[in-house]
Amino acid sequence: MAFYDGLFRLLGLEDWCGGGASDAPLSMADLLAQSNGEDSAQGAFFPFPSLDNLNESCGNLSQTRDLTKGIEDGFLAAKPALKSVLDPITQPLSWLLDGALWTFSATPWFIMVPILVAIAWFASRSKPVTIFVAFSILLLAFVDHYDVAMQTLSIIFVCTGISIVLGVPIGIAMSKSDRLQRSVVPILDLLQTLPTFVYLIPLIFLFSVTESKLYGIAIILYAIVPVIRLTDLGIRLVDQDVIEAANAFGMNSNQKLLKVELPLALPNIMAGVNQTIMMSLAMVVIASLVSAPGLGVNVLRGIRNLELGVGIVAGIGIVLLAVILDRVSKAALSRVDMTHKSH
Amino acid sequence: MSDMPKVRLSGLYKIFGARHKDMMPHVKAGMGKPELLETHGHVLGLQNINVDVQAGEITVVMGLSGSGKSTLIRHLNRLIDPTDGEILIDGIDVMKLSDAELRKMRQDKMSMVFQKFALLPHRTVLQNAAMALEVQGVDEATRNAEGMKWLARVGLDGYENHFPAQLSGGMQQRVGIARALTANTDIMLMDEAFSALDPLIRTDMQNLLLELQEELHKTIVFITHDLDEALKLADHLVILKDGAVVQQGEPQGILLNPSDPYIEDFVSDINRARVLRVRSVMQPLSKGKFSADVDANDNLESLIALSGGDTKHKYRVMEDGEAVGQIDMRDLVVALVPRISSAA
Repeated sequence: MAFYDGLFRLLGLEDWCGGGASDAPLSMADLLAQSNGEDSAQGAFFPFPSLDNLNESCGNLSQTRDLTKGIEDGFLAAKPALKSVLDPITQPLSWLLDGALWTFSATPWFIMVPILVAIAWFASRSKPVTIFVAFSILLLAFVDHYDVAMQTLSIIFVCTGISIVLGVPIGIAMSKSDRLQRSVVPILDLLQTLPTFVYLIPLIFLFSVTESKLYGIAIILYAIVPVIRLTDLGIRLVDQDVIEAANAFGMNSNQKLLKVELPLALPNIMAGVNQTIMMSLAMVVIASLVSAPGLGVNVLRGIRNLELGVGIVAGIGIVLLAVILDRVSKAALSRVDMTHKSH
Repeated sequence: MSDMPKVRLSGLYKIFGARHKDMMPHVKAGMGKPELLETHGHVLGLQNINVDVQAGEITVVMGLSGSGKSTLIRHLNRLIDPTDGEILIDGIDVMKLSDAELRKMRQDKMSMVFQKFALLPHRTVLQNAAMALEVQGVDEATRNAEGMKWLARVGLDGYENHFPAQLSGGMQQRVGIARALTANTDIMLMDEAFSALDPLIRTDMQNLLLELQEELHKTIVFITHDLDEALKLADHLVILKDGAVVQQGEPQGILLNPSDPYIEDFVSDINRARVLRVRSVMQPLSKGKFSADVDANDNLESLIALSGGDTKHKYRVMEDGEAVGQIDMRDLVVALVPRISSAA
């Protein structure tokens, strides 16, 4: 005897409902209730008229799990079409990621470490930062985390690179068109607020877990947001007086973009790149759930097998990488700022 | 000088607002600025501007803030499009130019100096000065040579590799002027170019401009809110109020014969002795004894100094070695008193 029986009787829908005899499979909650010898509807005095509660009285109404099932079926139905479009487009990403992973692991450490230190030096031009980078990498290598750290780093390089290549033009386009900005900002908000694990769910359905583009896409979607936002903001913040001067001297829009807007927006764009790097590092750890190699795998092992030491050492390794990437990109950023007001 | 002015603005109207074109009949029917704002929510920026800018002269447009003077100067190179009216530059209707032609005209015919300098902060002084030529597609060696030449001319040699932020305001504006001169255009638009500078530097810059003008004879349109500055620089003075021209003409003439209480108010605070020139106050030459000869372009201040304050003196006025008139110190003192319509 369910709570809403009376309601359906009143509406004269008893016949359509089939007299309350539900033919839907039993839910786990029902099973538990039955085994305890109770009627499930007696739990609440006045239950909310939700799908499940109404279904108790009228078997022809759907249950909530039919809704989630419907979403899943819809997604699966669209999958072949989506896959046939997305697969070829994203295939280069797999090649890039595999190539980068191979390059980073195939290059012997005595070549790789000097190259990384040199990159740190040319980007930052700062002795303390460079020494810190060298020290951190050697420390990671000393505790036998060199290979996994390089895997993480190679994924970050590729994903940040692609985020910049895609994000800066999108940001420029947004700064030029208010309408585009209005339509893109909600998408960016969505990408930023969506819990990171939720990204992975549709991607797992679309691509096979053995393909590296699966985690590549997840990382790029998550990390591209700041570089787009800050490129847009940076260009919009360029001093209108300077733009007016550029117009007054007859610059066309390409000249304005390349000679005025981008150089003046560069500090903001670089701040976006810094954020993008940090966010791809955050995501690469989570992406280890979907077979992304690197330090994240060790963290995952620590959680799964309760290997405390393994997890903590990998965690410290991630912190070290984060500090390296942050310091180097911040030092590069402040160097960009300096050229404007160097005394 | 040919009859065709370098720049001619005729019947120029600018109304700010979404439906500015629809407002034209109201404005033409005589609706004023406050009324238009109240009844239709549109701002009347400029109304019926008719100004001829002669080649080789400094035309000063003066008005208080909100009078539309910056709006006006931006119409010359179409940084702002007018609602109605005609802008002719060298006889060419600017409104009919395509985007590419307009850019070409901005490159070749007019350069602009801005109140806030508007230099590119990421470029050196030399790169800033050579910017106009870079836009025109001139090769680097030529444009740097040209840039160096004009930087030296405005007194900035040795600073070419500095960045704008390292220079003082006055020096930055010198870069702005060098940039405009390097563009090698006939017309220079100066939008409150000296207003952001402190008074001493402003005087320096005014002298620099006059000195350059002596030599280059550019067609300069100069915007200012400072009457002293306007009177010092102007060959032709245009006074703007609420988007309309109240009086225009030769500055000394405006000073001596203000057409309107608004302008009387304006000119009453001026140091007339410094601004008025002998030429404007002198009388026709007659017989008599003269204490000394003075130049027609001397200002009255120098005459007062010369006479030592004695009003009994009479001077003969010379111009280019010829006697053109005479000036009595008594007339001079009378001319120093501003005419107020209520008192007259």
